[in-house]
Amino acid sequence: MNKTNTPPRLAGKLLLMLLRADLAEEVLGDLEEKFYVTVERKSLSKARRNYWYQTLHYLRPFAIRKTQSTNSNITTMFKHNLLLSFRNFKKYKSSFFINLVGLSTGLACALLIYMWVNDELHVNKFHANDDRLYQVMENTELANGVITQTSTPDFLAENMIKEFPEIEMGAGVTPSEWFGNFTLVEGDNYFKATGQYAEKDYFKMFSFPLIEGDASTAISDIGSIAISEDLAKKVFKTTENVIGKTMEVQLLNFKYPVAVSAVFENLPANSTESFDMVLSWKMWQDMSDAIGRNVHWGNHGPDTYLVLRQGTDIDAFNQKIEGYIKSKLENSNVSLFATRYSDRYLHGSYENGVQAGGRIEYVRLFSVIAVFILLIACINFMNLSTAKASRRVKEVGVKKAIGADRKSLVFQYLSESTLLTFFSLFVAILLVLLFLPQFNTITGKQLSLGLDANLILMVLGITIATGLLSGSYPALYLSKFNAAFVLKGGRISTSVGQLWARKGLVVFQFAMSVILIVSVVVVYQQVNYVQSKNLGYSKDNVIHFDKEGRVMENQDAFLSEAKNLPGVVNASSIQAIVVGSQNSTQGVEWEGKNPEENVRFEVVTVNYDLIETLGIDILEGRSFSKDFGANEENLIFNEAAIRAMGLDNPIGKSVKFWGKDMKIAGIAKDFHFQSLHQKVNPLIIRFDPSQTMKVMVKIEAGREKETLARLEDLYGEFNPGYSFEYSFLDQDYQAQYVAEQRVSSLSKYFAGFAILISCLGLFGLASFTAERRLKEIGVRKILGSSVWSIVWLLTSDFTKMVGAAILIALPISYYLTSTWLQDFAYSINLTVWYFAGAGAVALLIAWITVGMQTLRAARVNPADCLRYE
Amino acid sequence: MKETKLGEFEEVLLLLVGILGEEAYSFKVAEEFESQTKREVSIGAVHSTLNRLEEKGFLESEMGQATAERGGRRKRIYTITASGQRALETSRDFRVSLWSQFPAFATGKLNFG
Repeated sequence: MNKTNTPPRLAGKLLLMLLRADLAEEVLGDLEEKFYVTVERKSLSKARRNYWYQTLHYLRPFAIRKTQSTNSNITTMFKHNLLLSFRNFKKYKSSFFINLVGLSTGLACALLIYMWVNDELHVNKFHANDDRLYQVMENTELANGVITQTSTPDFLAENMIKEFPEIEMGAGVTPSEWFGNFTLVEGDNYFKATGQYAEKDYFKMFSFPLIEGDASTAISDIGSIAISEDLAKKVFKTTENVIGKTMEVQLLNFKYPVAVSAVFENLPANSTESFDMVLSWKMWQDMSDAIGRNVHWGNHGPDTYLVLRQGTDIDAFNQKIEGYIKSKLENSNVSLFATRYSDRYLHGSYENGVQAGGRIEYVRLFSVIAVFILLIACINFMNLSTAKASRRVKEVGVKKAIGADRKSLVFQYLSESTLLTFFSLFVAILLVLLFLPQFNTITGKQLSLGLDANLILMVLGITIATGLLSGSYPALYLSKFNAAFVLKGGRISTSVGQLWARKGLVVFQFAMSVILIVSVVVVYQQVNYVQSKNLGYSKDNVIHFDKEGRVMENQDAFLSEAKNLPGVVNASSIQAIVVGSQNSTQGVEWEGKNPEENVRFEVVTVNYDLIETLGIDILEGRSFSKDFGANEENLIFNEAAIRAMGLDNPIGKSVKFWGKDMKIAGIAKDFHFQSLHQKVNPLIIRFDPSQTMKVMVKIEAGREKETLARLEDLYGEFNPGYSFEYSFLDQDYQAQYVAEQRVSSLSKYFAGFAILISCLGLFGLASFTAERRLKEIGVRKILGSSVWSIVWLLTSDFTKMVGAAILIALPISYYLTSTWLQDFAYSINLTVWYFAGAGAVALLIAWITVGMQTLRAARVNPADCLRYE
Repeated sequence: MKETKLGEFEEVLLLLVGILGEEAYSFKVAEEFESQTKREVSIGAVHSTLNRLEEKGFLESEMGQATAERGGRRKRIYTITASGQRALETSRDFRVSLWSQFPAFATGKLNFG
């Protein structure tokens, strides 16, 4: 037995340490007696707690050991060092403030970045099954490479569970993005909610805690529904006793009665899932059957998640499942692999079937930036303290003469720098608290500065490391002087090596600043480019909303009335908004197709006038129109599709699409229906108004407000009781580039801080040099030197350093930015001007910083500075 | 010159020391205090007060024998000094005098029912 029934040892030790020696025996005895009495009367744990209580109550003036170590040399020295540090801070206020501002902004940036990185690293990691929770991914081999995706056959999970003993649980899940909004009807009230369908073990696999209901039965029946805390509050005004309450779920023209079977806690901020409710897989199957969706091994739709048994070797498992689909379906070009669900957030990108980065790149990028900014701040401290060494050599000389050895001097300077970093930490924490709300807005996170043991350790670690790093060079340098030499009045001649070291540090600082400037400019330009690029369709002034209720039942009537509203340019409907992911298929056959080669086509399903509403150009042939019959048997391809198929004179040719004979009616000019990260892919536009889910309306520019009000009235006539919720297409477009926009604005701030800190350092150095050379300036002026030649004399040194920094930084920044731009299929060209501009800006900033100081020094009256000698 | 007035807590502890006699050490005094007054007290508080009473000269102490239940450690046994006894008596007399001046009580009309 490990935990015997003896008093807590730690408490005993604490007492021995703090108590007067002569009291120890009786006190420990009393407490022990009390302890055993309590064990007998109450319990062991109560006795232990009581022992601690008694111990803490012994910390009274009469009982505590008087500190007798006040005479110890170490504490005296420590006090002395502290005193000297404070005196130094007071005496050299400007360098103290430069260091304080530099270090505290540096620390604040590092802290914010640390919190952000830490949060990113923990996204989706909270699931209890995290280390065993996998997502099944598909690699599809196509003519132009391998595409990796998450869509899998509907029944993949249930089949795999039967065949692979490694799988403990599995579930197919239809992503909530597929459906937009569901409508919930409770009594006379209508509510909108996002939702997904999932197989029954979903809540056992994912840790979304249930407030009410049982995880194993939460979504087991076609009529069961699990709703979120918020949705429960919205619909029922409470989260208590809502189990069994009934509603109706509506999607498209489907209506299902459901009864609440579970209420789950709102999804945590560090989850990437987003849904208000989960519906049963049986309902999904019922809907699939009703719309005639074929569920087979070649049809890829929902996501599949697995929980593997403890101790499963994932590599071996992946080898086993790789050919699984091919074993079920001849000629399939799909292979499977499983990847950790929580890894998908940071490592989400695949190139040619191989994992290739993802958000982790931004995590790394910002970690590097944090380290750089801290380094720049440390360099300031090193430079200023070594430059000002001559002011402190006497102090060092006296100390050494009295008998201080080098070690104690090193200790002194290190403690001085650490003290300063702790001051800075205090200011930094205030800064973080001040700017955290803005930082959260920019990053879209909900970070808070909580008392988390890891965070505190990390912060202390960073602070001490910063203190030691920034103090290391000055400590070694200052402690080196020869006592006899400096006391005799010998001047410290800075050796060539030291000069180089100091200059090197400045060059390093400015090189990093230049790299940051170039990066910010390039990121900003690219984000701008993406937002203003001509996409081949017009996204401005286009709104879209869900087609539901009677708008769906009478969609032709609704659309023609909408078109007649003043201010409406055009109106139509589409299956899913053009922005983002579409349906895709390989089920297209045409004359002359190479049977070995697979081409994947994205498919967009539209109504009349959609092509006109979005302003997509038709190059050849025609668009869908009521003037021609049998639109359902015609397809429109984009240029990329025709190129991929290798057809000449395609108009009027027949193709086999999903097993039916169709004709190519028209060719659309390529337009960017996907993000600019990708090339324009082959696209098929098909006509089937019954499968469209979204109404799209183009509004006349400048009349948005009145037109929207009219649309809302019209919508209200059709669907009384429904709320009219629309969104603008261009906003959805912007949302695709949220990550880039965040990086753009974050890097802007951090680059600003880096430059600010570098300039502070330069400012300090310049003012110090000017001060040191004041007599020289006086003599020069008397001999007839002009103000400007003195300014030049003082600035030329700095100009050279900044120039060298620019030369070093430009190739590095070119490499970094061009690598980043490779992620985009369509990007800006890197021109010389970005680099020249960044260099010029850095130089200009440096000149302004140094110039102010030198000009003041150069205009000094020689009589003033030469008078005392 | 030390303060020689007795506080309420001091007075109670002084009496308890007297009651406990040979067994008057911090732990026992604290236990007795809790059982007699039904009030929680820490051994540290008791010890600190006993220590103060000793400084005032109302108590004296010496180390007693060791016992097994305290891990073989000795205990400090307190005994009341003559001046301690006097202080207690003064305090009691003062109260009695106050009570006797309380008219209701003095005439025996106070009904405690």
